[in-house]
Amino acid sequence: MRGNFDNSVSLIRFILRRERVISAVWVVLLVLFSAGLAPGINGMFPDDASRSQFALSYDNPVMISMMGPAYGIENYTPGAMYTGMMLLWVAITACVMNIFFVVRHTRADEERGRVEVVRSLPTGRLANLNATMVSAVIINAVIALLIGFGLAAAGIESIDLAGGMLFGALVGLAGLVFAALAALFSQLSSSAGGAMGMSFLALGGLYLLRGAGDMQGSDAISCISPLGLILRSQAYIQNRLWPVFILVLEVIIISAAAYKLNSIRDMDQGFIAAKPGRKEAKPGLLSPLGLAYRLMRTMLIAWIITMLMLGASYGSVIGEIGSFVGDSPEYLTVIGIPPEIADGMTDADKQDIISSYFGLFVNSIMALICIVPLLNAAMKPRSEEREGRSEHVLSRVVSRVKYLAGYISISYAASVLFPIATALGLYSSVAAVSGDSIPPSFELGSLLKANLAYLPAMWVIIGAAVLAVGLFPKASGAIWGYYGFICFAALFGNLPDLLPEWISKLSPMSYIPRFPLDDISFAPLAVLALIAAALTAIGFVSYARRDYRP
Amino acid sequence: MPIMEVRDLVKDYGKTRALNGISLSLEAGEVYGFIGPNGAGKTTTIRVLLGILKATGGSASIFGKDSWRDAVEIHKRVSYVPGDVNLWPNLTGGEVVDLFVRLRGSGDKSRREELIGRFDFDPSKKCNTYSKGNRQKVALVAAFSSDADLYILDEPTSGLDPLMGKVFQECVLEVKKAGKSVFLSSHILSEVEQLCDKISIIRRGEITETGTLQELRHLTRTRVAIEAERALPDLASLPFVHNLSAGGQAAGNGALFQVDTKELGKVMELVAPCGITKLECSPPSLEELFMSHYDAKAGV
Repeated sequence: MRGNFDNSVSLIRFILRRERVISAVWVVLLVLFSAGLAPGINGMFPDDASRSQFALSYDNPVMISMMGPAYGIENYTPGAMYTGMMLLWVAITACVMNIFFVVRHTRADEERGRVEVVRSLPTGRLANLNATMVSAVIINAVIALLIGFGLAAAGIESIDLAGGMLFGALVGLAGLVFAALAALFSQLSSSAGGAMGMSFLALGGLYLLRGAGDMQGSDAISCISPLGLILRSQAYIQNRLWPVFILVLEVIIISAAAYKLNSIRDMDQGFIAAKPGRKEAKPGLLSPLGLAYRLMRTMLIAWIITMLMLGASYGSVIGEIGSFVGDSPEYLTVIGIPPEIADGMTDADKQDIISSYFGLFVNSIMALICIVPLLNAAMKPRSEEREGRSEHVLSRVVSRVKYLAGYISISYAASVLFPIATALGLYSSVAAVSGDSIPPSFELGSLLKANLAYLPAMWVIIGAAVLAVGLFPKASGAIWGYYGFICFAALFGNLPDLLPEWISKLSPMSYIPRFPLDDISFAPLAVLALIAAALTAIGFVSYARRDYRP
Repeated sequence: MPIMEVRDLVKDYGKTRALNGISLSLEAGEVYGFIGPNGAGKTTTIRVLLGILKATGGSASIFGKDSWRDAVEIHKRVSYVPGDVNLWPNLTGGEVVDLFVRLRGSGDKSRREELIGRFDFDPSKKCNTYSKGNRQKVALVAAFSSDADLYILDEPTSGLDPLMGKVFQECVLEVKKAGKSVFLSSHILSEVEQLCDKISIIRRGEITETGTLQELRHLTRTRVAIEAERALPDLASLPFVHNLSAGGQAAGNGALFQVDTKELGKVMELVAPCGITKLECSPPSLEELFMSHYDAKAGV
């Protein structure tokens, strides 16, 4: 058909302009996450001995199913190790970015009626989809190049420019495969939420498929998944190019299918018809709390399953870790126990302390992860206000306090559920792997204690969000900046000279006792809880007193 | 005592003044039209009345209660349709109607079904599939199946087709018949003309005119079409005659013009001796009233 792509170029410029903040943030995060972490990882495993110690953890099939096959461990260079640890996760992050990006500019814009406006102008039928995909190619190319050069610039032995370019290209291509899939699902589903759900289901499914293939040593199964393909390039080890070509083909074929479907469907329609919903509401929906729960339900359930599964997969690694690295002095040094102290410890003590250390590490990571949905819930009243929907509720017989309390109580309740899910996930897989000899720090009670110890810190962050929603609604998004700082401080704050101590202390996480390495002392936890209560109360009072600001 | 009263209401957004001392008063049982162009301050006024925005100065009260302080108490007897109905994409229209009715208090189930039928509305679809008109119907069905004493409607028919606009008018007349009060903001003038007892015109945050349709017409012009046997006198030079044209007649024998209504008598005296064969006077439609009102003000 003639003119299907008319005005794509102006639309590309328009999309890139709309994206100048969001995508720039994603690009910076991705480059920091990949190239930025390389020196740190290299520093943790500075020599062959420490690297081959780490390679031992690949003796565990569950580890392989999580991280991918153990390529290059015969000659475990920093590059080989870096690829093994990072490629999959950087690529997954890029996939998430691409899914959001594509759905935002295709189905979500269509749902909001923006595509209609664009289509009414002299633009081609496929111009919007085409512009979105071309913009995705541009953004992913920028990411690939920055990662490639960034890694080379780190100047680490064996992490060279050729391997870096391949690493970057694999990240970008994996991202583009999911951009294309998201474009395809945006044609199939008639709603942005549906397209998003199908895309993330595909991401999760293809990750698990790769895991199953890798665990059984079946390249054929793993290569069905783009996430399995990228690993088979063996960047920094073999630098194989054939997966790159397959990925390019996949992007082209899936995109072509999306283009075709887009060209033959009506606007606002999807190929999977939406089925009729209920004509009347269930009683459970009919209150501010019920509405809040209904709006957050899917997200909460998805996160609880995620925490259970993440906990279980970490647990399967940790349960074994002590037993095969327990007596290695390098490991003890890495985790901050000097050799002179380690010499005086029995092997059992060493194993115990190593598994405790890893338990602590995992717990703190899990606490950081589950703050995301907690903040989502606490910030939801603000997004409802911005979308003009809280007006419906507030103009009826619902006080401001009651309305806000619906979302905030869900956030607080979830803050208790997530650590319990984490602990249960960890415990179940540690118990399955270690049988009778569960390390003491992985007994259920101990895990619950360790994970629930983070509660007061999470509450402070929820409280800060309530305060922001109440006091600075227009600037409340800054809370995500605070969250970014908290993650940074938690992961790197103990590196000497990186952050001045008083800055690290601005993170509530820094006051949480390092259980089980240290005892739990309740005084700091109580103080955190009080601060959280005060922030929440101030937030509520300001919210009740301020103007509605859509 | 008025059921709703606004006195010298001022609302600032930062340095911008959205409302500059407006006053309104709605008596029980009245249907009150609130007209003005986009951005005049209609929605801001309504949001202050609902206690969603806090007044900078002056007072707003409903049922004798302060709009800000007693907002929740007031909402028990108020039914509201916002101008821009944004709904939750993953809830169905039926669920949202039930939610809205329950959050306000009581509702009439059979009335809900009846309204869904009259508005020809499918409650089983997800809100993200509804057009603007259908989203408007969700809000209207919820509002009219609630049992309220005051209905505050902010441009409620935007997006509705004329047939549904008619159903809406019936609904307003029914609640009026039941002795309820309605505050109707609109820029669709024919609808205000047909429904409202009293009208206020708001422009740039100020009330420029208030009165019954009758009273407002008094201030304005009458449309006159004349045909005569003999040549008409020179009307163009009269300061109170506007938009004069020959009206399709031979030069001098016909005229089509608007005249300031209070000066109508003078025009009649002038043209009476010319042997009038046809005389049509029509009251200005609200559209014309509105235009002339703004023509005059916009000039300055």
